[in-house]
Amino acid sequence: MKKYLQIFKISFEEEFAYRLNFILWRVRNVLQILLTFFLWSSVYTDSTRQIFNYDRTTILTYVFGVMIVRALVFSARAMDVSRDVANGDLSNYLLKPINYFKYWFTRDVASKVLNMLFAVIEFTLLFIILKPPFFLQTNMLALLAFLVSIILAILIYFLILFLLSSIPFWIPEIGWGSHFLVTVVIVEFLSGSVFPINIFPQALQSIILATPFPYLVYFPIEIYLGNVGGWALIGGLMVATAWVGVLWMALNVVWQKGLKVYQAIGR
Amino acid sequence: MKKYFKVWWMMSKNSFSMVLGQKLALFMFLIGKFFRFTLFFLFLFFLLSGTGKLAGYSKDQIIFFFLTFNLIDVSTQFLFREVYSFRSMIIKGDFDLVLVKPLNSLFRVLMGGADIIDLITIPPLVILIIIYGIHLHPTFVGILLYLILLINGFIIATAFHIAILAFAIVTLEIDHAVMIYRDTTNLGKLPVDIYKEPLKGLLTYLVPVGVMMSLPAKALMGLTSAMGIVVALTIGITAMFLALRFWKSALTKYTSASS
Repeated sequence: MKKYLQIFKISFEEEFAYRLNFILWRVRNVLQILLTFFLWSSVYTDSTRQIFNYDRTTILTYVFGVMIVRALVFSARAMDVSRDVANGDLSNYLLKPINYFKYWFTRDVASKVLNMLFAVIEFTLLFIILKPPFFLQTNMLALLAFLVSIILAILIYFLILFLLSSIPFWIPEIGWGSHFLVTVVIVEFLSGSVFPINIFPQALQSIILATPFPYLVYFPIEIYLGNVGGWALIGGLMVATAWVGVLWMALNVVWQKGLKVYQAIGR
Repeated sequence: MKKYFKVWWMMSKNSFSMVLGQKLALFMFLIGKFFRFTLFFLFLFFLLSGTGKLAGYSKDQIIFFFLTFNLIDVSTQFLFREVYSFRSMIIKGDFDLVLVKPLNSLFRVLMGGADIIDLITIPPLVILIIIYGIHLHPTFVGILLYLILLINGFIIATAFHIAILAFAIVTLEIDHAVMIYRDTTNLGKLPVDIYKEPLKGLLTYLVPVGVMMSLPAKALMGLTSAMGIVVALTIGITAMFLALRFWKSALTKYTSASS
């Protein structure tokens, strides 16, 4: 435990080594939120309008919620694993007395803490500037379920990143290509961070909800907003838990097979 | 001019063959770009099917704004992909090798690596623009102004890329600068009318995303004034002038580090 605490500290300090990069990365997050905010603000100009199961208050809370949930779930370093695998740096870690998964999870946590701190500052500033109506959830059960769903989302995203990063064991040249397709495009859109999933027709929603992606952003925020309760809440949390299990098992199989074909090319 | 076109074609062929050598990666990026476009297109389609209008624009009009944004965005990425790899040239000092060649250095670092993945996506985009454009029943003057302002938008986008290159020489930072440019222009996916002041004003005149992305589509719809077009063209010329000045000034700051 002590060594992972050290990894956490080092990773946290490492994030500050490239301060300009980090600040510009956060600026990018704010710009992305602006488009979504003003788009929805335009759609819900009339505060009494109710479409897609949202009104002005809940949809703008959704947009601000995305800012916090994204910082918690999508701030991660584990995408660098594919580089370690492709250029043979993985060997350095295999020789050390540390668990490689725990090492990267610790680095992810450090990244999440730092990004969360900045996200809270951005949230506050944008809140003061834009003055949106905000839905404050007071039901303790909903808040608890929200926290559980966030933990599940973090685990799902970590496992997806690791699974993707295992591809270079077999095809080293498509590390970035696979990350672009899955994390930049599919996760971004199907997680609900660009728009809520319930914009789509019911049939399409059902298909998307059967994948792990909406449990990363959409589902936790829906819980916070109180739009999911009772059996739907339990069912959703069970599906997310099942995805954690499935992805974990898949990762174990893929990683073990990958290590068998790993040749430390580039070392 | 002929010499530059020949050099550009040669560099592009090299760049294309590099990408075509990794067919699986090419396929992944192509599918990714297709998905990204389709999902946002579907989002707009379903959103406007539910709401009817957005900021006073119909579904076809909003989709046309989105398609025009994509055309400028994809065309600039197709031509200026080399900008993304300029940082390594600067930090390794390889830029020296560009400076000593009898070729405009800006031309080399701006257009030295056309992207075939983006090129593939341009023809279907143009077809969609024609289909949705016809739905809007444009006049001949509207089409002509659309094309002029499209070129103007492209000039502003070029100016931005030149400024980013100059910024890279001065600060050694480019990756996030490019991405911030892209995130800012992404605000032009939809008409700037959806934004409130002062952001709307900033996006129209200071960071002229509105002039780049929204104005061409508005001209086709007959929603621009003669004054608006004059201002837009002035912004385009000024942006290019300032970007070139910045580039020239940045060149004097180049330290040739690591070479």
